[in-house]
Amino acid sequence: MTEAQQWVWTPVMELDELWEGDLTGVQVGTAKILLVNVDGQIRAYENRCPHQAWPLDQGDLDGRELTCANHHWVFDALTGKGVNPDDCALRSFPVKVDDDGMICVAVP
Amino acid sequence: MTTPVFVIVGGGPCAASAAATLRSAGFDGRLVVVAGEPVVPYERPPLSKDYLTGHLDGAELPVRPASWYAEQGVELRLGERAEGIDDRERVVQLAGGERLGYDALLLATGGRPRPFEGLQGSAGGERVAYLRTRGDADRLAERLRQGEPLVVLGGGFIGCEVAASARRLGVEVTVLEMAQVPLERALGAQVGSQLAEIHRDAGVDFRTGEQVQSVSETADGLVVTTDRSRLECGLLLAAVGMLPNTEIVTGTSVKCHNGIVVDEHCRTAVPGIYAAGDVAAHYHPLYGRHLRVEHHDNAIKHGAVAARNMLGEDIAHDDPHWFWSDQYEHNLQSVGFNEGCDEVVVRGSIAERSFARFCLADGQVRAVVALNRGRDVIAARKLIASGLRVSAAALRDESVDLRRLARAVVR
Repeated sequence: MTEAQQWVWTPVMELDELWEGDLTGVQVGTAKILLVNVDGQIRAYENRCPHQAWPLDQGDLDGRELTCANHHWVFDALTGKGVNPDDCALRSFPVKVDDDGMICVAVP
Repeated sequence: MTTPVFVIVGGGPCAASAAATLRSAGFDGRLVVVAGEPVVPYERPPLSKDYLTGHLDGAELPVRPASWYAEQGVELRLGERAEGIDDRERVVQLAGGERLGYDALLLATGGRPRPFEGLQGSAGGERVAYLRTRGDADRLAERLRQGEPLVVLGGGFIGCEVAASARRLGVEVTVLEMAQVPLERALGAQVGSQLAEIHRDAGVDFRTGEQVQSVSETADGLVVTTDRSRLECGLLLAAVGMLPNTEIVTGTSVKCHNGIVVDEHCRTAVPGIYAAGDVAAHYHPLYGRHLRVEHHDNAIKHGAVAARNMLGEDIAHDDPHWFWSDQYEHNLQSVGFNEGCDEVVVRGSIAERSFARFCLADGQVRAVVALNRGRDVIAARKLIASGLRVSAAALRDESVDLRRLARAVVR
Protein backbone atom coordinates (compact mmCIF):
# COMPACT_ATOMS: atom_id res chain seq x y z
CA MET A 1 0.00 0.00 0.00
CA THR A 2 3.02 2.30 0.14
CA GLU A 3 2.48 3.10 -3.49
CA ALA A 4 -1.18 3.89 -2.91
CA GLN A 5 -0.31 6.28 -0.10
CA GLN A 6 1.39 8.52 -2.61
CA TRP A 7 -1.73 8.47 -4.73
CA VAL A 8 -4.49 10.99 -4.39
CA TRP A 9 -7.94 10.13 -3.13
CA THR A 10 -10.48 11.51 -5.57
CA PRO A 11 -14.19 11.68 -4.72
CA VAL A 12 -16.07 10.22 -7.68
CA MET A 13 -19.72 9.78 -6.73
CA GLU A 14 -22.10 9.49 -3.83
CA LEU A 15 -22.57 6.04 -2.37
CA ASP A 16 -26.32 6.60 -2.56
CA GLU A 17 -26.07 6.71 -6.35
CA LEU A 18 -24.47 3.28 -6.62
CA TRP A 19 -27.06 0.77 -5.51
CA GLU A 20 -26.26 -2.70 -4.32
CA GLY A 21 -25.82 -4.91 -7.37
CA ASP A 22 -25.02 -1.89 -9.50
CA LEU A 23 -21.95 -1.12 -11.55
CA THR A 24 -20.86 2.04 -13.29
CA GLY A 25 -17.96 3.58 -15.12
CA VAL A 26 -16.30 6.81 -13.96
CA GLN A 27 -13.34 8.78 -15.19
CA VAL A 28 -10.66 10.00 -12.80
CA GLY A 29 -8.14 12.10 -14.67
CA THR A 30 -7.14 9.88 -17.54
CA ALA A 31 -8.03 6.68 -15.70
CA LYS A 32 -11.24 4.86 -16.63
CA ILE A 33 -12.57 3.22 -13.51
CA LEU A 34 -15.25 0.62 -12.93
CA LEU A 35 -17.13 0.86 -9.63
CA VAL A 36 -19.16 -2.05 -8.34
CA ASN A 37 -21.38 -2.40 -5.30
CA VAL A 38 -21.45 -6.02 -4.21
CA ASP A 39 -23.99 -6.26 -1.41
CA GLY A 40 -22.74 -3.02 0.13
CA GLN A 41 -19.05 -3.54 -0.55
CA ILE A 42 -17.53 -1.12 -3.03
CA ARG A 43 -14.69 -2.10 -5.32
CA ALA A 44 -12.84 -0.14 -8.00
CA TYR A 45 -11.16 -1.71 -11.01
CA GLU A 46 -9.75 -0.58 -14.28
CA ASN A 47 -12.76 -0.36 -16.59
CA ARG A 48 -11.17 -2.63 -19.13
CA CYS A 49 -11.59 -6.32 -19.72
CA PRO A 50 -8.16 -8.04 -19.77
CA HIS A 51 -9.40 -10.06 -22.75
CA GLN A 52 -9.91 -7.42 -25.42
CA ALA A 53 -10.06 -4.16 -23.50
CA TRP A 54 -13.81 -3.64 -23.79
CA PRO A 55 -15.27 -1.45 -21.02
CA LEU A 56 -16.66 -3.60 -18.23
CA ASP A 57 -19.41 -1.18 -17.20
CA GLN A 58 -21.39 -2.44 -20.18
CA GLY A 59 -21.37 -5.86 -18.53
CA ASP A 60 -23.49 -7.51 -15.90
CA LEU A 61 -23.13 -7.81 -12.15
CA ASP A 62 -25.00 -10.72 -10.60
CA GLY A 63 -24.10 -11.27 -6.96
CA ARG A 64 -20.30 -11.48 -6.93
CA GLU A 65 -20.18 -12.40 -10.58
CA LEU A 66 -19.09 -9.71 -13.02
CA THR A 67 -19.51 -10.67 -16.69
CA CYS A 68 -18.06 -8.73 -19.61
CA ALA A 69 -20.76 -8.07 -22.17
CA ASN A 70 -18.81 -8.82 -25.33
CA HIS A 71 -17.22 -12.21 -24.79
CA HIS A 72 -18.57 -13.18 -21.38
CA TRP A 73 -15.35 -13.36 -19.43
CA VAL A 74 -16.38 -13.73 -15.80
CA PHE A 75 -14.69 -12.19 -12.75
CA ASP A 76 -15.18 -12.26 -9.02
CA ALA A 77 -16.35 -8.70 -8.38
CA LEU A 78 -15.04 -8.75 -4.80
CA THR A 79 -11.48 -9.84 -5.60
CA GLY A 80 -11.12 -8.98 -9.28
CA LYS A 81 -9.85 -12.50 -9.92
CA GLY A 82 -10.85 -14.26 -13.11
CA VAL A 83 -13.46 -16.99 -12.71
CA ASN A 84 -13.73 -18.00 -16.33
CA PRO A 85 -11.07 -18.04 -17.52
CA ASP A 86 -9.35 -18.33 -14.14
CA ASP A 87 -5.87 -17.29 -15.17
CA CYS A 88 -6.45 -13.54 -15.34
CA ALA A 89 -7.39 -10.69 -13.02
CA LEU A 90 -8.70 -7.15 -13.09
CA ARG A 91 -6.44 -4.31 -12.04
CA SER A 92 -7.85 -2.95 -8.84
CA PHE A 93 -7.61 0.51 -7.27
CA PRO A 94 -7.93 1.52 -3.62
CA VAL A 95 -11.43 2.71 -2.85
CA LYS A 96 -13.18 4.06 0.27
CA VAL A 97 -16.34 5.83 1.30
CA ASP A 98 -15.58 9.07 3.20
CA ASP A 99 -17.52 10.65 6.07
CA ASP A 100 -19.71 12.59 3.64
CA GLY A 101 -20.83 9.38 1.92
CA MET A 102 -18.66 9.99 -1.14
CA ILE A 103 -16.96 7.09 -2.89
CA CYS A 104 -13.29 8.00 -3.27
CA VAL A 105 -10.81 6.24 -5.52
CA ALA A 106 -7.03 6.46 -5.39
CA VAL A 107 -5.36 6.49 -8.76
CA PRO A 108 -1.74 7.12 -9.68
CA MET B 1 -0.52 -50.18 -10.74
CA THR B 2 0.97 -48.35 -13.66
CA THR B 3 0.50 -44.63 -14.25
CA PRO B 4 -2.50 -43.93 -16.50
CA VAL B 5 -1.78 -42.20 -19.79
CA PHE B 6 -4.21 -39.73 -21.32
CA VAL B 7 -3.57 -38.46 -24.81
CA ILE B 8 -5.14 -35.38 -26.39
CA VAL B 9 -4.83 -34.93 -30.12
CA GLY B 10 -5.23 -31.31 -31.16
CA GLY B 11 -3.69 -27.91 -30.56
CA GLY B 12 -6.59 -25.52 -30.23
CA PRO B 13 -8.61 -24.10 -27.34
CA CYS B 14 -10.47 -27.39 -26.95
CA ALA B 15 -7.27 -29.34 -26.35
CA ALA B 16 -6.01 -26.66 -23.95
CA SER B 17 -9.30 -26.62 -22.07
CA ALA B 18 -9.27 -30.40 -21.71
CA ALA B 19 -5.67 -30.43 -20.46
CA ALA B 20 -6.38 -27.68 -17.92
CA THR B 21 -9.54 -29.41 -16.72
CA LEU B 22 -7.78 -32.75 -16.31
CA ARG B 23 -5.06 -31.21 -14.16
CA SER B 24 -7.40 -29.03 -12.11
CA ALA B 25 -9.64 -32.03 -11.52
CA GLY B 26 -6.68 -33.86 -10.05
CA PHE B 27 -5.50 -36.12 -12.84
CA ASP B 28 -1.88 -36.84 -12.01
CA GLY B 29 -1.10 -39.42 -14.65
CA ARG B 30 0.89 -38.87 -17.81
CA LEU B 31 -0.78 -36.29 -20.03
CA VAL B 32 0.34 -35.88 -23.63
CA VAL B 33 -0.96 -33.25 -26.05
CA VAL B 34 -0.15 -33.98 -29.68
CA ALA B 35 -0.65 -30.51 -31.06
CA GLY B 36 0.01 -30.93 -34.76
CA GLU B 37 0.97 -27.31 -35.29
CA PRO B 38 4.42 -26.09 -34.25
CA VAL B 39 3.08 -23.61 -31.64
CA VAL B 40 1.50 -23.96 -28.18
CA PRO B 41 -2.32 -24.23 -28.27
CA TYR B 42 -3.68 -20.85 -29.19
CA GLU B 43 -6.88 -18.88 -29.61
CA ARG B 44 -8.24 -18.77 -33.14
CA PRO B 45 -10.84 -15.95 -32.88
CA PRO B 46 -8.24 -13.14 -33.20
CA LEU B 47 -6.83 -14.67 -36.40
CA SER B 48 -9.54 -13.03 -38.51
CA LYS B 49 -9.60 -9.85 -36.45
CA ASP B 50 -6.97 -8.08 -34.33
CA TYR B 51 -4.16 -10.50 -35.04
CA LEU B 52 -4.77 -10.17 -38.77
CA THR B 53 -4.68 -6.38 -38.64
CA GLY B 54 -1.60 -6.28 -36.43
CA HIS B 55 -3.48 -4.90 -33.43
CA LEU B 56 -2.79 -8.00 -31.35
CA ASP B 57 0.67 -9.42 -30.85
CA GLY B 58 1.30 -13.10 -31.48
CA ALA B 59 2.49 -13.41 -27.88
CA GLU B 60 -1.13 -12.84 -26.80
CA LEU B 61 -2.49 -15.78 -28.79
CA PRO B 62 -1.66 -18.82 -26.63
CA VAL B 63 -4.55 -20.05 -24.48
CA ARG B 64 -2.01 -20.62 -21.73
CA PRO B 65 1.70 -19.81 -21.73
CA ALA B 66 4.18 -22.52 -22.62
CA SER B 67 5.40 -22.43 -19.01
CA TRP B 68 1.99 -23.62 -17.80
CA TYR B 69 2.40 -26.95 -19.58
CA ALA B 70 5.83 -27.42 -18.06
CA GLU B 71 4.59 -26.54 -14.57
CA GLN B 72 1.64 -28.88 -14.91
CA GLY B 73 3.69 -31.71 -16.32
CA VAL B 74 1.81 -31.74 -19.60
CA GLU B 75 3.89 -33.15 -22.45
CA LEU B 76 3.37 -30.86 -25.40
CA ARG B 77 4.24 -32.52 -28.68
CA LEU B 78 4.43 -29.50 -30.94
CA GLY B 79 4.62 -29.99 -34.68
CA GLU B 80 3.92 -33.69 -34.29
CA ARG B 81 1.02 -35.28 -36.07
CA ALA B 82 -1.06 -38.23 -34.96
CA GLU B 83 -1.76 -40.35 -38.00
CA GLY B 84 -3.95 -43.14 -36.79
CA ILE B 85 -5.34 -45.14 -33.94
CA ASP B 86 -5.27 -48.80 -33.08
CA ASP B 87 -8.42 -48.87 -30.99
CA ARG B 88 -7.96 -52.50 -29.96
CA GLU B 89 -4.46 -52.05 -28.65
CA ARG B 90 -5.24 -48.51 -27.48
CA VAL B 91 -2.37 -46.93 -29.30
CA VAL B 92 -2.00 -43.64 -31.17
CA GLN B 93 0.34 -43.77 -34.11
CA LEU B 94 2.48 -40.65 -34.52
CA ALA B 95 3.86 -39.51 -37.87
CA GLY B 96 7.43 -39.99 -36.68
CA GLY B 97 6.77 -43.68 -36.03
CA GLU B 98 6.27 -43.49 -32.27
CA ARG B 99 3.38 -45.52 -30.88
CA LEU B 100 1.74 -43.84 -27.92
CA GLY B 101 -0.32 -46.09 -25.69
CA TYR B 102 -3.34 -44.49 -23.99
CA ASP B 103 -5.90 -45.24 -21.34
CA ALA B 104 -8.12 -42.42 -22.54
CA LEU B 105 -7.86 -40.53 -25.80
CA LEU B 106 -9.44 -37.22 -26.70
CA LEU B 107 -9.73 -36.25 -30.34
CA ALA B 108 -9.85 -32.48 -30.63
CA THR B 109 -8.52 -32.37 -34.16
CA GLY B 110 -10.70 -29.49 -35.34
CA GLY B 111 -11.03 -28.93 -39.04
CA ARG B 112 -9.54 -27.41 -42.13
CA PRO B 113 -10.96 -24.97 -44.66
CA ARG B 114 -13.15 -26.51 -47.30
CA PRO B 115 -11.20 -26.24 -50.55
CA PHE B 116 -12.68 -24.02 -53.24
CA GLU B 117 -13.21 -26.20 -56.28
CA GLY B 118 -13.42 -23.55 -58.99
CA LEU B 119 -9.72 -22.83 -59.47
CA GLN B 120 -8.71 -23.02 -63.13
CA GLY B 121 -5.50 -24.75 -64.08
CA SER B 122 -2.61 -23.55 -61.98
CA ALA B 123 -4.58 -20.74 -60.34
CA GLY B 124 -3.91 -20.65 -56.68
CA GLY B 125 -0.53 -20.30 -55.15
CA GLU B 126 0.05 -17.25 -53.07
CA ARG B 127 -2.92 -15.30 -54.34
CA VAL B 128 -5.49 -17.76 -53.03
CA ALA B 129 -5.76 -17.77 -49.27
CA TYR B 130 -7.58 -19.81 -46.67
CA LEU B 131 -7.84 -19.05 -42.98
CA ARG B 132 -7.70 -21.55 -40.18
CA THR B 133 -4.29 -21.57 -38.56
CA ARG B 134 -1.91 -18.97 -37.26
CA GLY B 135 0.31 -19.72 -40.25
CA ASP B 136 -2.63 -19.01 -42.57
CA ALA B 137 -3.24 -15.71 -40.77
CA ASP B 138 0.43 -14.72 -41.08
CA ARG B 139 0.39 -15.38 -44.81
CA LEU B 140 -2.93 -13.59 -45.28
CA ALA B 141 -1.73 -10.57 -43.27
CA GLU B 142 1.40 -10.37 -45.39
CA ARG B 143 -0.68 -10.35 -48.58
CA LEU B 144 -3.15 -7.81 -47.21
CA ARG B 145 -0.32 -5.44 -46.37
CA GLN B 146 0.50 -5.29 -50.07
CA GLY B 147 -2.80 -3.48 -50.49
CA GLU B 148 -4.13 -5.27 -53.55
CA PRO B 149 -7.90 -5.66 -53.93
CA LEU B 150 -9.36 -8.62 -52.06
CA VAL B 151 -12.24 -10.83 -53.09
CA VAL B 152 -13.79 -12.92 -50.33
CA LEU B 153 -15.68 -16.02 -51.37
CA GLY B 154 -18.37 -16.69 -48.82
CA GLY B 155 -20.20 -14.26 -46.55
CA GLY B 156 -20.01 -16.45 -43.46
CA PHE B 157 -18.38 -15.43 -40.20
CA ILE B 158 -14.79 -15.89 -41.37
CA GLY B 159 -15.48 -14.11 -44.66
CA CYS B 160 -17.23 -11.21 -42.94
CA GLU B 161 -14.60 -10.83 -40.23
CA VAL B 162 -11.74 -10.83 -42.71
CA ALA B 163 -13.61 -8.33 -44.89
CA ALA B 164 -13.94 -6.03 -41.87
CA SER B 165 -10.26 -6.43 -40.99
CA ALA B 166 -9.20 -5.78 -44.56
CA ARG B 167 -11.23 -2.57 -44.65
CA ARG B 168 -9.52 -1.54 -41.43
CA LEU B 169 -6.25 -1.92 -43.32
CA GLY B 170 -7.60 0.20 -46.17
CA VAL B 171 -7.91 -2.70 -48.62
CA GLU B 172 -10.59 -2.66 -51.31
CA VAL B 173 -12.92 -5.60 -50.61
CA THR B 174 -15.59 -7.47 -52.54
CA VAL B 175 -17.57 -10.22 -50.81
CA LEU B 176 -19.34 -12.79 -52.96
CA GLU B 177 -22.12 -14.64 -51.20
CA MET B 178 -24.21 -17.21 -53.05
CA ALA B 179 -27.30 -16.81 -50.89
CA GLN B 180 -29.60 -13.80 -51.08
CA VAL B 181 -28.87 -13.01 -47.43
CA PRO B 182 -25.63 -13.78 -45.61
CA LEU B 183 -25.81 -16.00 -42.53
CA GLU B 184 -29.57 -16.29 -42.82
CA ARG B 185 -29.73 -19.66 -41.10
CA ALA B 186 -27.65 -18.49 -38.15
CA LEU B 187 -29.08 -15.00 -37.76
CA GLY B 188 -32.38 -14.73 -39.60
CA ALA B 189 -33.03 -12.74 -42.77
CA GLN B 190 -33.44 -9.32 -41.15
CA VAL B 191 -30.24 -9.49 -39.14
CA GLY B 192 -28.29 -11.06 -42.00
CA SER B 193 -29.38 -8.23 -44.30
CA GLN B 194 -28.39 -5.64 -41.73
CA LEU B 195 -24.96 -7.25 -41.48
CA ALA B 196 -24.54 -6.92 -45.26
CA GLU B 197 -25.52 -3.24 -44.91
CA ILE B 198 -22.91 -2.72 -42.21
CA HIS B 199 -20.28 -3.99 -44.62
CA ARG B 200 -21.58 -1.83 -47.46
CA ASP B 201 -21.46 1.22 -45.19
CA ALA B 202 -17.82 0.40 -44.51
CA GLY B 203 -17.09 0.43 -48.21
CA VAL B 204 -17.28 -3.31 -48.95
CA ASP B 205 -18.82 -4.30 -52.27
CA PHE B 206 -21.00 -6.92 -50.60
CA ARG B 207 -22.75 -8.95 -53.29
CA THR B 208 -25.41 -11.48 -52.47
CA GLY B 209 -27.11 -14.02 -54.70
CA GLU B 210 -24.03 -14.09 -56.88
CA GLN B 211 -22.35 -17.35 -57.68
CA VAL B 212 -18.68 -17.80 -58.52
CA GLN B 213 -18.07 -19.87 -61.61
CA SER B 214 -14.32 -19.84 -61.94
CA VAL B 215 -11.12 -18.23 -60.81
CA SER B 216 -8.12 -17.99 -63.08
CA GLU B 217 -4.70 -16.45 -62.73
CA THR B 218 -3.26 -13.79 -64.96
CA ALA B 219 0.21 -12.29 -65.09
CA ASP B 220 -0.53 -9.81 -62.32
CA GLY B 221 -3.53 -11.10 -60.43
CA LEU B 222 -6.66 -13.21 -60.46
CA VAL B 223 -9.83 -13.02 -62.49
CA VAL B 224 -13.01 -14.13 -60.77
CA THR B 225 -15.92 -14.94 -63.04
CA THR B 226 -19.37 -15.10 -61.52
CA ASP B 227 -22.82 -15.72 -63.00
CA ARG B 228 -23.14 -11.93 -63.28
CA SER B 229 -19.77 -10.32 -63.66
CA ARG B 230 -16.03 -10.51 -64.01
CA LEU B 231 -13.79 -9.21 -61.22
CA GLU B 232 -10.08 -8.65 -61.04
CA CYS B 233 -8.22 -8.87 -57.76
CA GLY B 234 -4.83 -9.48 -56.28
CA LEU B 235 -5.96 -11.78 -53.51
CA LEU B 236 -8.77 -14.23 -53.01
CA LEU B 237 -9.88 -15.60 -49.66
CA ALA B 238 -11.86 -18.80 -49.96
CA ALA B 239 -14.06 -18.88 -46.85
CA VAL B 240 -16.54 -21.50 -47.92
CA GLY B 241 -16.77 -23.58 -44.79
CA MET B 242 -14.78 -26.11 -42.86
CA LEU B 243 -14.24 -29.85 -43.11
CA PRO B 244 -13.83 -31.77 -39.85
CA ASN B 245 -10.49 -33.56 -39.45
CA THR B 246 -11.80 -37.09 -38.98
CA GLU B 247 -9.12 -38.99 -40.90
CA ILE B 248 -7.41 -40.11 -37.72
CA VAL B 249 -10.22 -42.57 -36.93
CA THR B 250 -10.07 -44.25 -40.33
CA GLY B 251 -9.82 -47.99 -39.82
CA THR B 252 -11.19 -47.89 -36.28
CA SER B 253 -14.69 -48.64 -35.02
CA VAL B 254 -15.28 -44.94 -34.29
CA LYS B 255 -18.27 -43.69 -36.27
CA CYS B 256 -18.21 -40.57 -38.40
CA HIS B 257 -21.13 -38.69 -39.82
CA ASN B 258 -20.40 -35.03 -40.45
CA GLY B 259 -17.69 -35.26 -37.81
CA ILE B 260 -16.78 -37.80 -35.18
CA VAL B 261 -20.03 -38.99 -33.65
CA VAL B 262 -20.20 -38.65 -29.88
CA ASP B 263 -22.94 -38.85 -27.29
CA GLU B 264 -23.89 -36.04 -24.91
CA HIS B 265 -20.82 -36.93 -22.81
CA CYS B 266 -18.42 -36.42 -25.73
CA ARG B 267 -17.82 -40.18 -25.85
CA THR B 268 -17.53 -42.14 -29.05
CA ALA B 269 -18.96 -45.65 -29.05
CA VAL B 270 -15.43 -47.00 -28.64
CA PRO B 271 -14.34 -47.34 -25.01
CA GLY B 272 -11.67 -44.83 -24.04
CA ILE B 273 -12.05 -42.60 -27.10
CA TYR B 274 -13.64 -39.16 -26.83
CA ALA B 275 -14.08 -36.32 -29.31
CA ALA B 276 -14.74 -32.65 -28.70
CA GLY B 277 -14.86 -29.24 -30.33
CA ASP B 278 -15.19 -28.49 -34.04
CA VAL B 279 -14.63 -32.11 -35.06
CA ALA B 280 -17.34 -33.59 -32.84
CA ALA B 281 -20.85 -34.33 -34.06
CA HIS B 282 -22.24 -34.13 -30.55
CA TYR B 283 -25.61 -35.38 -29.40
CA HIS B 284 -27.15 -32.32 -27.81
CA PRO B 285 -29.77 -33.33 -25.23
CA LEU B 286 -31.58 -30.00 -25.48
CA TYR B 287 -32.08 -30.31 -29.22
CA GLY B 288 -32.45 -34.08 -29.43
CA ARG B 289 -29.96 -34.63 -32.19
CA HIS B 290 -26.35 -34.57 -33.25
CA LEU B 291 -24.95 -31.13 -34.04
CA ARG B 292 -21.47 -30.15 -35.07
CA VAL B 293 -20.71 -26.63 -33.95
CA GLU B 294 -17.71 -24.56 -35.03
CA HIS B 295 -17.54 -22.01 -32.26
CA HIS B 296 -15.05 -21.14 -29.53
CA ASP B 297 -17.26 -21.49 -26.46
CA ASN B 298 -18.43 -24.89 -27.63
CA ALA B 299 -14.82 -26.01 -28.05
CA ILE B 300 -13.88 -24.87 -24.54
CA LYS B 301 -16.91 -26.49 -22.93
CA HIS B 302 -16.63 -29.72 -24.87
CA GLY B 303 -13.00 -29.99 -23.85
CA ALA B 304 -13.89 -29.55 -20.19
CA VAL B 305 -16.79 -32.02 -20.32
CA ALA B 306 -14.75 -34.65 -22.16
CA ALA B 307 -11.91 -34.26 -19.65
CA ARG B 308 -14.15 -34.88 -16.67
CA ASN B 309 -15.74 -37.88 -18.30
CA MET B 310 -12.28 -39.25 -19.10
CA LEU B 311 -11.80 -39.21 -15.33
CA GLY B 312 -14.88 -41.35 -14.82
CA GLU B 313 -17.54 -38.71 -14.31
CA ASP B 314 -20.80 -38.76 -16.20
CA ILE B 315 -21.39 -35.18 -17.29
CA ALA B 316 -23.43 -34.14 -20.28
CA HIS B 317 -22.77 -31.05 -22.34
CA ASP B 318 -26.21 -29.51 -22.60
CA ASP B 319 -25.48 -25.77 -22.73
CA PRO B 320 -27.26 -23.80 -25.43
CA HIS B 321 -24.64 -22.87 -28.01
CA TRP B 322 -23.24 -19.38 -27.65
CA PHE B 323 -20.97 -17.49 -30.02
CA TRP B 324 -19.91 -14.01 -30.96
CA SER B 325 -18.50 -12.21 -33.94
CA ASP B 326 -16.79 -8.81 -33.87
CA GLN B 327 -16.91 -6.81 -37.09
CA TYR B 328 -15.86 -3.16 -37.24
CA GLU B 329 -17.13 -1.57 -34.02
CA HIS B 330 -20.01 -4.05 -33.82
CA ASN B 331 -20.39 -7.00 -31.48
CA LEU B 332 -22.77 -9.72 -32.60
CA GLN B 333 -23.78 -12.55 -30.30
CA SER B 334 -26.04 -15.55 -30.55
CA VAL B 335 -27.32 -18.02 -27.97
CA GLY B 336 -29.40 -21.11 -28.50
CA PHE B 337 -31.04 -22.65 -31.49
CA ASN B 338 -34.07 -21.15 -33.18
CA GLU B 339 -35.50 -24.38 -34.58
CA GLY B 340 -39.11 -24.97 -33.65
CA CYS B 341 -39.70 -21.41 -32.52
CA ASP B 342 -43.14 -19.89 -33.05
CA GLU B 343 -42.59 -16.27 -32.07
CA VAL B 344 -39.99 -13.61 -32.75
CA VAL B 345 -39.62 -10.53 -30.56
CA VAL B 346 -37.22 -7.67 -31.28
CA ARG B 347 -36.03 -5.52 -28.40
CA GLY B 348 -34.39 -2.34 -29.63
CA SER B 349 -33.93 -1.50 -33.30
CA ILE B 350 -32.41 -3.63 -36.03
CA ALA B 351 -32.15 -0.56 -38.29
CA GLU B 352 -30.26 1.31 -35.57
CA ARG B 353 -28.00 -1.69 -35.05
CA SER B 354 -28.76 -2.04 -31.38
CA PHE B 355 -31.10 -4.90 -30.68
CA ALA B 356 -31.73 -8.34 -29.26
CA ARG B 357 -33.92 -10.59 -31.38
CA PHE B 358 -35.54 -13.32 -29.32
CA CYS B 359 -37.00 -16.54 -30.69
CA LEU B 360 -39.59 -18.16 -28.46
CA ALA B 361 -41.35 -21.48 -28.45
CA ASP B 362 -44.50 -21.71 -26.40
CA GLY B 363 -43.57 -18.54 -24.51
CA GLN B 364 -40.08 -19.73 -23.56
CA VAL B 365 -37.02 -17.96 -24.90
CA ARG B 366 -35.04 -20.49 -26.93
CA ALA B 367 -32.62 -18.33 -28.84
CA VAL B 368 -31.38 -14.78 -29.13
CA VAL B 369 -29.32 -12.94 -31.70
CA ALA B 370 -28.11 -9.55 -30.59
CA LEU B 371 -26.09 -6.73 -32.05
CA ASN B 372 -24.28 -4.41 -29.64
CA ARG B 373 -26.45 -5.70 -26.79
CA GLY B 374 -24.09 -7.88 -24.81
CA ARG B 375 -25.86 -7.17 -21.55
CA ASP B 376 -29.15 -8.40 -22.99
CA VAL B 377 -27.39 -11.55 -24.13
CA ILE B 378 -26.12 -12.26 -20.61
CA ALA B 379 -29.70 -11.98 -19.36
CA ALA B 380 -30.99 -14.01 -22.30
CA ARG B 381 -28.62 -16.85 -21.49
CA LYS B 382 -30.16 -16.99 -18.03
CA LEU B 383 -33.67 -16.77 -19.42
CA ILE B 384 -33.00 -19.60 -21.85
CA ALA B 385 -31.50 -21.74 -19.10
CA SER B 386 -34.44 -21.04 -16.80
CA GLY B 387 -37.14 -22.19 -19.21
CA LEU B 388 -39.37 -19.47 -17.73
CA ARG B 389 -42.34 -18.30 -19.76
CA VAL B 390 -42.10 -14.60 -20.51
CA SER B 391 -44.38 -12.27 -22.37
CA ALA B 392 -43.41 -10.76 -25.68
CA ALA B 393 -44.43 -7.38 -24.28
CA ALA B 394 -41.94 -7.63 -21.40
CA LEU B 395 -39.11 -8.63 -23.73
CA ARG B 396 -39.90 -5.80 -26.12
CA ASP B 397 -40.28 -3.15 -23.40
CA GLU B 398 -36.91 -1.48 -22.91
CA SER B 399 -37.95 -0.19 -19.52
CA VAL B 400 -38.14 -3.77 -18.26
CA ASP B 401 -34.77 -4.86 -16.92
CA LEU B 402 -34.10 -8.24 -18.55
CA ARG B 403 -31.67 -9.09 -15.80
CA ARG B 404 -34.43 -8.81 -13.25
CA LEU B 405 -36.68 -11.00 -15.39
CA ALA B 406 -33.97 -13.62 -15.51
CA ARG B 407 -32.94 -13.24 -11.88
CA ALA B 408 -36.49 -13.68 -10.68
CA VAL B 409 -36.24 -17.22 -11.90
CA VAL B 410 -32.65 -18.21 -11.41
CA ARG B 411 -32.56 -17.32 -7.77
